[in-house]
Amino acid sequence: MADRGSKGFSAASKGKAIASKRGSLNGRPNSSANIPHINVLSDSDSDGFVEELPRVNYKSNGKAASESLKSGGRASSKREAGKGGNAYNAGKGRKGTTASAKSDAEIKLDLDMPPNSTILMNCEVAELLQEIHEHMAILSEDPKIKMPESFDKAFQYAKEGNHFTTAQSVKQVLDPLRKYGVNDGEICMIANIGPETIEEVYALVPSLKVTRSLNEGPIMEALTALADIKAAK
Amino acid sequence: MFFHIVLERNMQLHPRHFGPHLRDKLVSKLIKDVEGTCSGRHGFVVAITGVEEIGKGLIREGTGYVTFPVKYQCVVFRPFKGEILEAVVTMVNKMGFFAEAGPVQIFVSNHVKIQKESEVRLKVIGTRVDATEIFCIGTIKDDFLGVISDPGAAV
Repeated sequence: MADRGSKGFSAASKGKAIASKRGSLNGRPNSSANIPHINVLSDSDSDGFVEELPRVNYKSNGKAASESLKSGGRASSKREAGKGGNAYNAGKGRKGTTASAKSDAEIKLDLDMPPNSTILMNCEVAELLQEIHEHMAILSEDPKIKMPESFDKAFQYAKEGNHFTTAQSVKQVLDPLRKYGVNDGEICMIANIGPETIEEVYALVPSLKVTRSLNEGPIMEALTALADIKAAK
Repeated sequence: MFFHIVLERNMQLHPRHFGPHLRDKLVSKLIKDVEGTCSGRHGFVVAITGVEEIGKGLIREGTGYVTFPVKYQCVVFRPFKGEILEAVVTMVNKMGFFAEAGPVQIFVSNHVKIQKESEVRLKVIGTRVDATEIFCIGTIKDDFLGVISDPGAAV
């Protein structure tokens, strides 16, 4: 009895959930999977249950004990928590997914290009690659020169992603935003996305939300101006 | 996102190419070697737009090849975390779908009802870069993201 009791004692100290399960069997309020009092074991009401459970737990603890020898006890407590505290874990899991889903929306543009590079908007690239393509058409009479696949793909992408008539007009509309704390990467994103509403801008470029009070007015004006130069597709 | 950047490369040229068109030969070799490649640091080199400088050539001992340091401007494409891209679906499987934006492939898991050749707007949430390739993971689960148009539908 003492033996079983002592083993049960160590089990309870390791596996919070098992003690809580016992608690719920006794009809005691089971607020959470936190450690209730170890006194449960000595409760005469639950003698019958105490007889059963330690045996079950002993078996699992036997396994758990050997596991803990390997992994320092973490695996065992985790498994025991998994068995008894299912609701707790599920809740944790749910919280976990919403937290990661929230953070996806908040992921900001993380540019780490070397300092001597200039960002190009899709409209600028489309014009640039069009010139090169025309050049290449002349040069491609030479059979040794071949257009790489990535050039064609990038050219196609830039042409299709380009919502506007000319790059120059887009630059004229968006350059003034620099005065209001909008950096190059963000300006480029706005040009590439071609947003229709201000809410779309803030949802897709979350880093602009920080200086919303400063840049909301100018961005709205820019969107209206961009709507005028949007090419009919 | 596209960038205009200045890169440098050491080009080796065999002496048989020396002559009045040395520079042209060097530039065409540069274009052949570099255009279409991908580096983890800069992304895909889409096109070379100009050659800034060709340094003095050094004859390599033992081979006779000459090494020229060449500085050139080029357009590169590199996807970034947090970027919004419009891509075309190329493959759908049980786990999600693959979409292509320019030369880069992006994987999105847990799709809604999606078909090949649909256009989607996605956000890049992670990039994996190795020596010669860039691979991205994206999501369409946030506001203003998702399918733009289905294949064959009028825009």
